Amino acid sequence: MVVEALKLIREVEEEGRKRLEEAKESVARILKAADEEMMGLTEKAREEVKRIAAEIAARYAKEGEREAEMIKKAAEAEAGKLKATAASNLEIAVNLVLEKMFGLR
Amino acid sequence: MGTNEIVEKIRSEAQAEYERMINEAKENAKKKLEEVRKELELQKKRFIEADERKGVEEKERMIRAARQHARKLKWMVEEEMSEKAFEAAMKRIKEVKRAGFKGKSYQNILAGLIMDGTRSIAAEGSEAAELEVLLSEEDVAYLNHSLLKEIANKISQDNGVKLQLSLSDERVKSAGGVIVRRKDGKIEVNHTFEQRMARFSTGLREDIVKTLFSRR
Repeated sequence: MVVEALKLIREVEEEGRKRLEEAKESVARILKAADEEMMGLTEKAREEVKRIAAEIAARYAKEGEREAEMIKKAAEAEAGKLKATAASNLEIAVNLVLEKMFGLR
Repeated sequence: MGTNEIVEKIRSEAQAEYERMINEAKENAKKKLEEVRKELELQKKRFIEADERKGVEEKERMIRAARQHARKLKWMVEEEMSEKAFEAAMKRIKEVKRAGFKGKSYQNILAGLIMDGTRSIAAEGSEAAELEVLLSEEDVAYLNHSLLKEIANKISQDNGVKLQLSLSDERVKSAGGVIVRRKDGKIEVNHTFEQRMARFSTGLREDIVKTLFSRR
């Protein structure tokens, strides 16, 4: 009777040890899965940042190009006006040069 | 305690330990993931802020380059039109020699330049001086001895010195104007048009730009 009782207790203790082994294995699996999820998150974040960086760069480049184009067009228009003004004042400027050249001014 | 109770106790303790270990692992994994998520969010925010700054800098660089191009374009127009004014003035010299300028004959213009050059040399201080006038071959026809004498007399009177002015046999290569120099060669005033333009170029260019681009 006692021997059977002790045998049963030893069997149950063995069951308990196995259960703890299972627990350790599960813990390892849980931690591994968490590590993999973290790596996945990091990779996803890296790709997202890369995509956003490209979008930001493209947005500012487009804005820069648009404003630069406006400045360029305004400058070309202004240059055209300046040339026209200068052409209409050319005779006065030539006289100014001649006056200075001849010592009359 | 009976055998069955002992067995049950061992089983329940083992199960409790199993659950504790699993729950602790799950809790740790969850905590780590949350920390990683937070850290990644923070990093993402920092990267985006840095990219925004880079983007703004790039945009500003493009705008600065465009403004610089605009300034260059304006400067090129100023240069081109100033150069046209100078070229047109040089071309007009021949016409001035023939028809005069603003009511003055070319002879009068030369006389004015000779007078100015002679005065400059007279102002150097010697009581008597012999000066000579150098002209281009083309301009010799516009000057005569009596005009030079008249100029010399006037400046002699004005400055209280005795000046003699004569036409040199030496000729200069120039579009026009004169060189007045002491016969000993020590002092010379170069009033050829090319030299006058070179002397006045900086100030004159500013005046020309103002004149060319002022809206009337």
